[in-house]
Amino acid sequence: MKREHMSHDNFSSSGSCSSSTKPQMWTCDADDELFAVLGYSVKPSDMADVAQKIEHLEQVMCSVEKDGLSQLASDTTHYNPSDLSSWLESMISGLNTTPDFDSGVNSSAQMVVDSDFGSDLTAIPGKAVYPNPREKPPSPAKKLKLSAPETESSESIVMVDSQENGIRLVHSLMACAEAVQKENFKLAEALVKNIGFLAVSQAGAMRKVATYFAEALARRIYRLYPTNQDSAFTDLLQMHFYETCPYLKFAHFTANQAILESFAGRDRVHVVDFSMKQGMQWPPLLQALALRPGGPPRFRLTAVGPPSTDNTDQLQEIGRKLGQLAESINVEFEYRGLVANSLADLNAALLDRREGETVAVNSIFDLHPLLARPGAIEAVLRVVTEVKPAIFTVVEQEANHNGSVFSDRFTEALHYYSTLFDSLESCGGGSDEDRVMSEIYLGRQICNVVACDGADRVERHETLAQWRRRLGAAGFEAVHIGSNAHKQVSMLLELFGGGDGYRVEEKHGCLMLGWHTRPLFATSAWRLAS
Amino acid sequence: MVRLRAVGEHGREDKNTSKTFCINDNIDVLIEILKRLDDKSIGVAACVCRLWCALTRNDALWEHLCFRQLSPPPEGVRTVVAALGGYRRLYTVCVKPVLTRLRKMKSGGEMWTRHEVELSLSLFCVDYYERLFLAGGGGGGGRIAGDAPPSSLMFLCKAVNV
Repeated sequence: MKREHMSHDNFSSSGSCSSSTKPQMWTCDADDELFAVLGYSVKPSDMADVAQKIEHLEQVMCSVEKDGLSQLASDTTHYNPSDLSSWLESMISGLNTTPDFDSGVNSSAQMVVDSDFGSDLTAIPGKAVYPNPREKPPSPAKKLKLSAPETESSESIVMVDSQENGIRLVHSLMACAEAVQKENFKLAEALVKNIGFLAVSQAGAMRKVATYFAEALARRIYRLYPTNQDSAFTDLLQMHFYETCPYLKFAHFTANQAILESFAGRDRVHVVDFSMKQGMQWPPLLQALALRPGGPPRFRLTAVGPPSTDNTDQLQEIGRKLGQLAESINVEFEYRGLVANSLADLNAALLDRREGETVAVNSIFDLHPLLARPGAIEAVLRVVTEVKPAIFTVVEQEANHNGSVFSDRFTEALHYYSTLFDSLESCGGGSDEDRVMSEIYLGRQICNVVACDGADRVERHETLAQWRRRLGAAGFEAVHIGSNAHKQVSMLLELFGGGDGYRVEEKHGCLMLGWHTRPLFATSAWRLAS
Repeated sequence: MVRLRAVGEHGREDKNTSKTFCINDNIDVLIEILKRLDDKSIGVAACVCRLWCALTRNDALWEHLCFRQLSPPPEGVRTVVAALGGYRRLYTVCVKPVLTRLRKMKSGGEMWTRHEVELSLSLFCVDYYERLFLAGGGGGGGRIAGDAPPSSLMFLCKAVNV
């Protein structure tokens, strides 16, 4: 691999160089950094040799394919992939028995190096091929199965997918977070570049998660903070998230069940919704109320939402549609939309509490952003108590992404979003477009947790236990979410077909939905403590 | 699957024996028979002739199909379901996937449980609301992908990887 210029800042954790001040890395005989990242021990002095042998090997394999000596081109085994030089020797000596070895340039396979290695390196002109084991090798000490690269494809195969790299990736991410925590930005920068290469070598959920975290770390290091999120676009992304996986449906169905039960026997009800978005939560509640024994109550909905960026009145539109639905199922419906920049701007008078009404307040992922400003959460909880709700349903992410230490936050977030992305990979709902949008939705959250700080960091998730303390301090007590909700949600999850991945747990009367052993979202219901 | 054959009126030239039974003359009997079929057979029956096609579109037939196994059919459901799009749509969009998928998981039990009914109705309502959104068009509210069908219930259509 030719190196035009090696920045002296780039030293890798595996390099044996004493200090980073030497301008030329190859004067000290350390393992090549990029190969080391991928698990191969190649000295810079061997580099030209290795490159030549790789070209050699490529030509031989091409010509072997053409001759139909396919058994040589297919599974070959070798030992100790970390010693690249001797491996190539063994490969070439093994193949050297073929007489028609063509040493000329084989122009039919024009290789293009797939990934961007950054400004420090340029690809060797011609064909540079990296070994591509099709299966994951169990460990480097065991045999490495190598199948022939597809000669008809004109892209280079760069992936070295091994468990080693996965572990290395996670360690690099943690190390980078530590470096950022200690404000050692030079080290962090080098690590972020490493992470970029490692992330590319992974597949599936791990790759996506690593890419998002790497980007967020880079933003933090280079201070390229993300601009203000457009709320309409976030709503759209959330719709796709609603369709792809059951988490939002879980939230809506459990909250609705709690609200429905608290409305039993009442004939005038009022729902205050902090999380209107597209209003997907309310049709099932309206339908359940329409069909309840004794007939539907008079239903009033007050929706609180942010100001819309385009000229349309989003809240009113949605209210109109819900009204249409309510009318067709014969439920008396009254609607009011309140536009507020932040929930903390509300006061109880605006919510217009009327005599004889049973009130329910609903918040889905809308309490945690309030933690970004001091005093906001207390103000909102005070407003809620003033409305005197029969039930206050709260759905939040079950994770602590609000710790004061950056590296702890980072680690928590890494585990949380890895699990979430894993579940996205496995569950089947929605189209491909939906899935991509859901990933972007989650990616934005990752960016916010890692890259932002202060008032900009709004994704301040806290665990159920933490919310319990806060709500307890504000004068609320927990209401048990009944078994009906649990059964309904279990059925819903069976329909989603994530295999056995999704788990519904009940904890102190609250329901938590998780993927395998990790709870991800928690629904809780509260009322004023007597 | 039950096989039915409509006996043509002009089968025989015997005009004397007007005892030839034609099912199309006895629609109430026909409906009774159709009520007992499963969904696939109803589909096949709809292809027989125009009369049968019209009869199979009758929502009452599908209502019977949906709630056949629930001993007292829930009250008031009819108006709601009619408003949200009818029993035939309820069956195709919600009931059938829910039943087939959940039956696979459970070993026995032919009866619908109350929860399954409620869940189907809730999902049906969500479906109606999404269609409302698309009908509302691109201007204001709604999703940007106006030409895609409501996909919130797509998970019901996808093959389950159990």
